[in-house]
Amino acid sequence: MGFLITTLIFIAVGVIASLFARICCNRGPSTNLFHLTLVITATVCCWMMWAIVYLAQLNPLIVPILSEE
Amino acid sequence: MGEGGCIPSMDLFRSEPMQLVQLIIPIESAHQTVSYLGDLGLLQFKDLNSDKSPFQRTYASQIKRCGEMARKLRFFKEQMSKGGVVPSARAMSRADIDMDDLEIKLGELESELIEINGNSDKLQRAYSELVEYKLVLQKAGEFFYTARSSATAQQREIEARQSGEGSLDSPLLLEQEMSADHTKQVKLGFVSGLIPRDKLMAFERILFRATRGNVFIKQTTIEDPVTDPVSGEKVEKNVFVVFYSGERAKAKIMKICDAFGANRYPFTEEMGKQAQMITEVSGRTSELKTTIDLGLMHRYNLLSSIGSQYEQWNLLVRKEKSIYHTLNMLSIDVTKKCLVAEGWSPVFATHQIQDALQRASFDSNSQVGAVFQILHTKEFPPTYFRTNKFTSSFQEIVDAYGVAKYQEANPGLYTIVTFPFLFAVMFGDWGHGICLLLASLFLIIREKKYSSQKLGDIMEMTFGGRYIILMMSVFSIYTGLIYNEFFSVPFELFGPSAYACRDATCSDTTTWGLIKVRDTYPFGVDPEWHGSRSELPFLNSLKMKMSILLGVAQMNLGIIMSYTNAKFFKNSVNTWFQFIPQMIFLNSLFGYLSVLIIVKWCTGSKADLYHLMIYMFLSPTDDLGENQLFPGQRNLQLVLLGLALIAVPWMLLPKPFILKKQHEARHQGESYELLHSNDESVAVEASHDSHGHGHEEFEFSEVFVHQLIHTIEFVLGAVSNTASYLRLWALSLAHSELSTVFYEKVLMLAWGYNNIFILAIGVLVFIFATVGVLLVMETLSAFLHALRLHWVEFQNKFYEGDGYKFSPFSFALIGDEDE
Repeated sequence: MGFLITTLIFIAVGVIASLFARICCNRGPSTNLFHLTLVITATVCCWMMWAIVYLAQLNPLIVPILSEE
Repeated sequence: MGEGGCIPSMDLFRSEPMQLVQLIIPIESAHQTVSYLGDLGLLQFKDLNSDKSPFQRTYASQIKRCGEMARKLRFFKEQMSKGGVVPSARAMSRADIDMDDLEIKLGELESELIEINGNSDKLQRAYSELVEYKLVLQKAGEFFYTARSSATAQQREIEARQSGEGSLDSPLLLEQEMSADHTKQVKLGFVSGLIPRDKLMAFERILFRATRGNVFIKQTTIEDPVTDPVSGEKVEKNVFVVFYSGERAKAKIMKICDAFGANRYPFTEEMGKQAQMITEVSGRTSELKTTIDLGLMHRYNLLSSIGSQYEQWNLLVRKEKSIYHTLNMLSIDVTKKCLVAEGWSPVFATHQIQDALQRASFDSNSQVGAVFQILHTKEFPPTYFRTNKFTSSFQEIVDAYGVAKYQEANPGLYTIVTFPFLFAVMFGDWGHGICLLLASLFLIIREKKYSSQKLGDIMEMTFGGRYIILMMSVFSIYTGLIYNEFFSVPFELFGPSAYACRDATCSDTTTWGLIKVRDTYPFGVDPEWHGSRSELPFLNSLKMKMSILLGVAQMNLGIIMSYTNAKFFKNSVNTWFQFIPQMIFLNSLFGYLSVLIIVKWCTGSKADLYHLMIYMFLSPTDDLGENQLFPGQRNLQLVLLGLALIAVPWMLLPKPFILKKQHEARHQGESYELLHSNDESVAVEASHDSHGHGHEEFEFSEVFVHQLIHTIEFVLGAVSNTASYLRLWALSLAHSELSTVFYEKVLMLAWGYNNIFILAIGVLVFIFATVGVLLVMETLSAFLHALRLHWVEFQNKFYEGDGYKFSPFSFALIGDEDE
């Protein structure tokens, strides 16, 4: 799975979660916007974390050297 | 609601719009009105009588009455806790009780209770005196009995000797002596009683000295402690009998007895009388006992009948007291027919307040309704966020730093996600995350039970933060999956590792290492890294860079928040001369560093980023050589450096001059003040100018110094704050190393012995270390570091936090504050 596909998955999850929040707890426009902000922030945070770790392993400068046991 | 241009309103992003309202309430419906407003709890009354002392206010006497009633209730509570009666929970009918009736009833109950207490005290005293008397009778009786029997034995012996021998060497005066003895004995008086054991020695000594040794003291201990009639406490006592001769000695002994608190009891020598008295005393004791028991029963019944209504009364009295306190804050009209109230209320509550006013005037049969009007003021309104049980704990984190200025962008909004996220970056282990999740779910499931009862300090804190813990645990499960650590053990959950041996023999895996044979491990850290020799260099480099990327992102978010503030308050100076140069400065240095990090990862280049960043400042025109990541990098660096250098004076200089110009423009031709129609508003304004918009005195130097400090803080802060985010790396490293140590050096070591006992001990130590060190200490330290990152690194970009909290008059809140 490449970088783009997983990113798309993250976006999809974010969209589903915001739709879910919109449908399940629809409490007026300002609360919905609040929920949307929370979902987007959470999705962005999680995506950043994943992307950083993924990119760091994309072109390894060092490789795992097993310890002698 | 949202007046900030195109930005739509959002819960929790800005505090509720507030308004200063004035209520004119007819005096006959004032009490009812305030009571209904207290039920509503959305109006913060302003004290309009702050110049008056509590005694000068209108309703001082009512407050005194309420205070008196509260005192009676406290007395009942004390009596109930003494009598072991637990007040029942407040589940009774909410019957309306009249305050006057309640006052009378409380008075009656109090006097009844006091009378019962007095009677039972008296009875108790009499009872313990009788018990003591009985003891004295028994013990002193023993003295006399043993003394007499030994005396008769002696006498018999002497008689036997006299009659048996009658020899020459028998003393001639024996008979005489004996008869003399006999006469003397009659004259001897004695005092008997009880004395506390610890005073006994001193008592004896004083008696001896006072009578110059002319006393004979006989005493014996009582095994069980005796109830002292005076103090009602259990005391260890001794029975004593003091023999003396002469009236003067008697008087002395009496005085000494009184001084030592020794209780004296009459005693007769005659055996027959003694027995009679003992039976008499026993009879009276049992009689008294039944009377006392009856009294106690009566008291218990009275107390439990109080207890069943205690909470209701208590609530009522507290409500009443708070109502009168609030009424005292209102100013009374000159005609004495109505009260004028001023206060803050959220705009959305207008209808509710008007409704409450109407209901109150209807229910109190008032002819005129209350008047509700909105006042205009320059004073800063209080800050009020409508939070629920989930968001309130996060808002609390922000409020602990400082309450938001009115309608300022609230960091609490992002804190709900970023706080647990940054916590989880430092606490990434999905095993530990699950433990935390279970703990928080336990607290949430038992929410109803815990919120009604009083908890200990630490438990209270944990319970208050249960939703924070929930979010933290969810995120740490996520980051744990990214770090691929379950109690420090990796799993191949998302496919096979990307690394494998170079050849079939796998001979050089410990020297040259594995090679990447597949696509990158799709989610998180490759499991092959765990336990390898190059694990630490790899993870350190990764986590360090990750900290910087996350930090730069969060700081950018903070600066963008300052833009939303500038836009909301229509402060274009802040947009152009604060927001834009700040963005440029931060991103031309650390934004650029972040880009370099990502480019380096994507291209796999071996460029040295430290070197690159340092020489960007030291010799920007030099050729980059092998550190070049992309063509044209040198020129880009020159441009960025130039931008950063321009941004500093851009932040510093224009703003003070523009403010000065604006001030001058505003006050041109304003040498005369407008006359105000009534005095009150002048007074109001004069008192609010200090923190209102009207900067009467514009000190240019002050503004300039302020801006200078702000600029220096930002420029230096950009470096130090970025460095501060490295704590994410440090704590995450510490966490994973500690959990590895506990897993390998405790659990695996114990496993290696193949012994069930060692294994059990190892598991036990592992569990305690995991819970104590990792789940408690590490959670706490990661929590504190996340807190710091939010308070300092994030919030100092935009948050002023100099507002004050909206504290409405509400019955729902008075329950907690008194106790």
